[in-house]
Amino acid sequence: MLRALIMAALLLVAGNGLADEMLMARLNMKADLAVEYLKTAVEEHGYSVAHIQLCDGGMKDFGYKSDTYRVVFFGKVDEVRWISETHPEFVAYVPLKMAVVAEKDEAVLSIVNPQTFNQYYRGDEQMRIQFARWYNDIRSIIADMHRAAGQKQLAMELIQ
Amino acid sequence: MRFARYLLALLLAGTAAQALAVPDGRALYQLHCSACHQFEGAGGIGLPLAKKKLDETSEEYLFKSIRYGRPGRVMPAYREMSDAQVHAIVRFMRERTGSVAREYDPAPLSGDLEHGAALYEEHCEKCHGDEGTGEGKGTGVTLSRERSFLVMPSSVANSGFLDSVTDQQMHHIISVGREESDMPGYTKKGLSEEDINALVAYVRKLGTEAGGPTPIDPEEPLSHVTESSEDFETTLANVKAALVGANFRNFPDRFLEQGLIDEFSVNQRQVAVRFCNFSELYGMLSIEPRLGVVLPCRVTVMERADGQVILVTPNLKVVSRWFNNDELVELWEAMEETFQEIIEEATL
Repeated sequence: MLRALIMAALLLVAGNGLADEMLMARLNMKADLAVEYLKTAVEEHGYSVAHIQLCDGGMKDFGYKSDTYRVVFFGKVDEVRWISETHPEFVAYVPLKMAVVAEKDEAVLSIVNPQTFNQYYRGDEQMRIQFARWYNDIRSIIADMHRAAGQKQLAMELIQ
Repeated sequence: MRFARYLLALLLAGTAAQALAVPDGRALYQLHCSACHQFEGAGGIGLPLAKKKLDETSEEYLFKSIRYGRPGRVMPAYREMSDAQVHAIVRFMRERTGSVAREYDPAPLSGDLEHGAALYEEHCEKCHGDEGTGEGKGTGVTLSRERSFLVMPSSVANSGFLDSVTDQQMHHIISVGREESDMPGYTKKGLSEEDINALVAYVRKLGTEAGGPTPIDPEEPLSHVTESSEDFETTLANVKAALVGANFRNFPDRFLEQGLIDEFSVNQRQVAVRFCNFSELYGMLSIEPRLGVVLPCRVTVMERADGQVILVTPNLKVVSRWFNNDELVELWEAMEETFQEIIEEATL
């Protein structure tokens, strides 16, 4: 009973605020620097950065002004192993990925909101807890990024 | 047990405190709006929210625009936000720009639809499209990407827009134009009150005719898992051959766990085959700049503990809906078929 209540409370906290399928943030820092801070913030939350995909090779040839488009892949090996054993259909979505796009001197971060997956796992408490944890970690990582960019008020809002 | 109770109390107390707090419009704006509209409202992925524009809009229009969003046009509907939170955002936008709401008579206007259609074709279609869905690709302004317009013309047939705007406000916008987005004022260009009424009526009609992607079947799976009758190595080779046959370029393979653990401990029977068609990719990025969060395209080939080899692919029909972008949905429904053909070829 208590376990169910704790889970309900966790999901309640996780469900506050953002209801979007995408989580996005704008940072007062250049995208290259944002990628470096993101790597640190991700690792401080216990994840490993699997790799960084450069998506901007040749973008200018296609008429883009932005010179930076990176995707940071991150995860925890224990979580990936557990998912591949128990929920192989979900391996299509791990490791997690966050896109960092330059907009002049600012960086825009985007990531799929892990809560989006809840609807596919209605009766699966373990997966729903996993999504809630990822969601909370991502909010905390973004808060760290805001703090690093000197946007303290936003960081406070995110970690409340 | 005691710790768990304490934790639960703490979590609930935090939530209750949050619910009682007066909404901070600035923080809410920064959290939900600034990623697309920028801190100062200059626009980016989203449209600019400048003083001039806000001076021409009512409180109700801004409130409803946040509440309903723009279905299929990137901006999400913030239905779960409280009224107080939405009002706080509107208040902050007003304070930041020093703009003053313009209130409009909510009474509907009536006009001659046939005349409106002719005027629309002559004056509006070039930018807003023949069906009122907006011309050009994507939304917002041209910060990161070259675009043919300074600001992407809005989809005037969009249900979020039409549910937010009153006829009188639409009439006013057509009459005075939108200087910041190069839309001329049509009173100056010689249109009469009756002409503009006819245009408003025709735009409403476009809204009733506007289609959109077919709603997704709730039973649609999150991903596809296909069993292979071949062994791991053969399946892997078949997938790569099928991708090349479908004009995709293969990236170097990565193990699913690669980078998450030392190279000697990585499970080498779980490989992400990654691929891309650059020409299509950049076309898609111009429609949806956030696409990177689901790239690159990939098929994961795994050998399970019982020796069964499976292929796992994301269901692009489902994934494309996360972006609230109708153009992307159309493209990815076609791409999903290509994915299925590749899997079929690799496993048959």
